Amino acid sequence: MSAPDGGCALVTGGTRGIGAAVADALRERGWNVATLSRNGGDLQADVSDPEAVEAAFVETRERFGPVHVLVNNAGQRRDGLAIRMSAEDWGSVVDTNLSGAFHCTRRALDDMLSARWGRIVNVSSIVAERANPGQANYAASKAGLLALTRTVAREMARKGVTCNAVLPGVIETDMTADLAEGLVGAVPAGRVGQPADVAACVAFLCSEEAAYVNGAMLAVDGGLAA
Amino acid sequence: MAPDQTGTATLTEDQVLARIRATLAEQKVPGAESASLDATWSELDVDSLDLVELVKTLEDEFGVTIHDEELKPIASVGDAVTLVLRLDVERASA
Repeated sequence: MSAPDGGCALVTGGTRGIGAAVADALRERGWNVATLSRNGGDLQADVSDPEAVEAAFVETRERFGPVHVLVNNAGQRRDGLAIRMSAEDWGSVVDTNLSGAFHCTRRALDDMLSARWGRIVNVSSIVAERANPGQANYAASKAGLLALTRTVAREMARKGVTCNAVLPGVIETDMTADLAEGLVGAVPAGRVGQPADVAACVAFLCSEEAAYVNGAMLAVDGGLAA
Repeated sequence: MAPDQTGTATLTEDQVLARIRATLAEQKVPGAESASLDATWSELDVDSLDLVELVKTLEDEFGVTIHDEELKPIASVGDAVTLVLRLDVERASA
């Protein structure tokens, strides 16, 4: 079965970096795209706040239609060694990157179950599987996303809903501006990735052609984790 | 049918049973079209996700709200019919 008519693709953190590139890629493929972010975008909400997410989904349905594609991309970094990391820095990153994805997923699944069609893509990170000192909170949140991905994939597979993850490596965005240059030497491809590199993979996972890809972890890292 | 807006309980057992059977059939549950009131979810091989979908359908179609705690003791087609009819009466008298 193909994607039902009248639905939309919701991209959280969709105004900058990887999220903006994903929104562009999905628009190019014909999706009616809604972007959600804390400031700006089509809808404003802090994804770590379940009530704000609920309100944003109500508004999304009114303005764009039911959510048939969800890309959980909203994320933040608050780096520091674990020994010095504050509870606030831990909690804030986990609340946004992991709990935020859960809040959005839970609400989107209602629409997807009704449609018996859905695509969820969680934007994880290569650090979910390969330690990067200074990012205990970020890595834990991104690893948690992988478990969430696999669980939802299994739960919803019979209903035409898939849930997959992409694991970007070193991607050139505002969020990694302080990191990218120093890490490029470690990337087998010899260059940092671009947001469009990730967006192309996300767009594939959202396509009808990817109907049998479910619970997959797709590294987009120039061979960094190979 | 659209939910009743006049404050009168209007649903019949046959209506609710027909919708449950139709939903189970859409879920490709074997024997759904002739499922009896006595048929249990276990006998029909209806799992928790199927049940969530059935609840959503009944809520949307009949304008009732089914809470999780009300769902727990519901083990058969007949239990579900009885629950929806009770909620319809409660909604009408609210």
